[in-house]
Amino acid sequence: MDLLLDPTLYSSMLRAVTPILLAALGGALCARVGLFNVGLEGLILIGAFSGIVGNHLTGNIWLALLFAMLCVMLFSLMFAFITIHLKANVIVVGVAINFLAMGLTTFSLRAIFNVKGSYRDTNMVGLPRWDIPLVQDIPWLGKIISGHSPLVYLGLLMVGVLYVYMFRTVSGFRLRAAGENPIASRSLGIRVTRYQYGAMLACGALCGLAGAQLSLGQLTMFSEGMSSGRGFIALVATMLGQANPLGVGASSLLFGFTSSLGSRLQGMALPTQFTSMLPFVVTLLAMFFFRNKNQMADARRSNESSR
Amino acid sequence: MPKLSQTLQSLLQPLLAIVVGLAVGAIAILIVGGSVMETYAEMWNGAFGSFYFFTNTLARATPIILIGLGVALAFRAGFFNLGAEGQLILGGLSAAMTALYVPGPGWLKLLLAIIAGIVAGGIWSAFAGWLDTRFRMNLLITTLLLNYIAVFFASYMVSHPFMDRTGSAAMAQTLMIDNAAWLPKLFQGMSVHAGFLFAAISTILLFLYMRYTVSGYEVRMLGGNPLFAAYGGVNRGRLMLISMFVSGGLAGLAGAGEVLGTQYRFIDGSLAAPGYAWSGIMATLLASSHPIGTLLAALLLAALQTGGMGVERNTDVPLEISSLIQAVLILFVSARISYSFIKNRKKARAADGSSS
Repeated sequence: MDLLLDPTLYSSMLRAVTPILLAALGGALCARVGLFNVGLEGLILIGAFSGIVGNHLTGNIWLALLFAMLCVMLFSLMFAFITIHLKANVIVVGVAINFLAMGLTTFSLRAIFNVKGSYRDTNMVGLPRWDIPLVQDIPWLGKIISGHSPLVYLGLLMVGVLYVYMFRTVSGFRLRAAGENPIASRSLGIRVTRYQYGAMLACGALCGLAGAQLSLGQLTMFSEGMSSGRGFIALVATMLGQANPLGVGASSLLFGFTSSLGSRLQGMALPTQFTSMLPFVVTLLAMFFFRNKNQMADARRSNESSR
Repeated sequence: MPKLSQTLQSLLQPLLAIVVGLAVGAIAILIVGGSVMETYAEMWNGAFGSFYFFTNTLARATPIILIGLGVALAFRAGFFNLGAEGQLILGGLSAAMTALYVPGPGWLKLLLAIIAGIVAGGIWSAFAGWLDTRFRMNLLITTLLLNYIAVFFASYMVSHPFMDRTGSAAMAQTLMIDNAAWLPKLFQGMSVHAGFLFAAISTILLFLYMRYTVSGYEVRMLGGNPLFAAYGGVNRGRLMLISMFVSGGLAGLAGAGEVLGTQYRFIDGSLAAPGYAWSGIMATLLASSHPIGTLLAALLLAALQTGGMGVERNTDVPLEISSLIQAVLILFVSARISYSFIKNRKKARAADGSSS
């Protein structure tokens, strides 16, 4: 019980969950316009790498963030062009983007920094930690909420922002309509393609931030394939949350909670393999219990992918 | 005549992709300051330069072909089986366990180990299929999640209960399999093993199955148009379970082949690290799920990978050049850029003015 009350557990959960949450929100936007984005993994990886490159080139953390966002947006623009304009199967292109990201980042790691495996520079400054003035003094809660990188707060904020955008604004309604029934929306004069491109670009920006949190958030380093499946987890979170920002937030937190609980349980004679397996098993179970509304299936059907 | 031009067109696409891939590779080589011709010469030598390197390429292609075929079958039926990695690993693990702990003569162990590999991979894959048909859980996601579970499970098995504690090195691996139960090498002293024959035979069988059997037709129909298939009385659930079982079984066979033919034990991470599973998926995508095409694409990818090692050995250009070329290849083919670009142009011109 002590374990569950420990504030550092939740604090580490928030940190671990941020890349997943940001990417999953991007995935949700894509899903809402009928694009099932399997390329999240690759986009995060590109974000992580370009964040480091940006930091290396400019020496400024904020410019590095901007650089990461722009780089990933470039790739998501390509993704969007191929899927929307050339009408390629979105899942296949997503898989291809993942390969491209893996190849390109490892190659550029060698080409730019001339190292293999991982790159770290102790001179680099990572993202600052923000101690929130009043909140940090709240006894138990303060330790959890305060002292994170700005991206952690941004991720949480984005949940609300996207929720309001999707369900409370006209533009958000049109975005959902574009995914729900592209033909009907087109006949009403909604520019479906434009919304699709917009969602893709926003997803790119979010994935860029997700990657930056990964490479600049705590360690200020890049290692090959450092997204290590987070993009796929984000995909699961998107799916589990039925592309609703609140649902996506909740399912990301569930995953983050089980994975930080898992790493905590390692201390207790449980083999590490089982504790690392825990989040995946829990996610699978969660999928089993929340599977009624099939938003994603609809989204994919409208794009004629998978089946 | 349309038949011929169709064949030409389907050939043109991958060839064009290879050219573009190599061109992008050349740009990358120039960026890191290498010599393009020299690098590609080294790549060719690394892949086909001598009989030894050639058999190396075949050995590397073996699991890629098998996995690719499995994924191709599932793709053809309309299912995205991204769980090849987990199926491969469980196949390898079960084969190792069977070969180690089942009593009997060597040939029997070998046979049972191969069957165990196929069954383990098949069941793991069919489980995802079952979750989809029975509970409508998205196959793409479940296969991905099951990958992680399989990886961690196998890692646990070989680092705790079945760990090799005889040697001084505390590696996460099983004991060495008795050499009576090894898959024979095809050539003395070369790395290609009998698993390659399995891969070649499976390719032909799958090709014949898809082309000439009723159930092969049902699979293609299900993938091509699920509604039409349902109307024609195809039982989607049953067909899904079967095709997923075979798909995973082929990946399991790939794992068994690697364990029984190359490593002779299950080493934690040794099946995941070379990226066989994703290469297999790539091969399938390159060949748009055609069995023989998948075999050729797998050979191409394996050649790029072993060639990349040659480049790494003999020039300053990093090994990753080959993953870059592979990625460009796959992106180009998957998007069918050239082809659909032309088609779109035509369409846009025909429907001039209308927005879409």
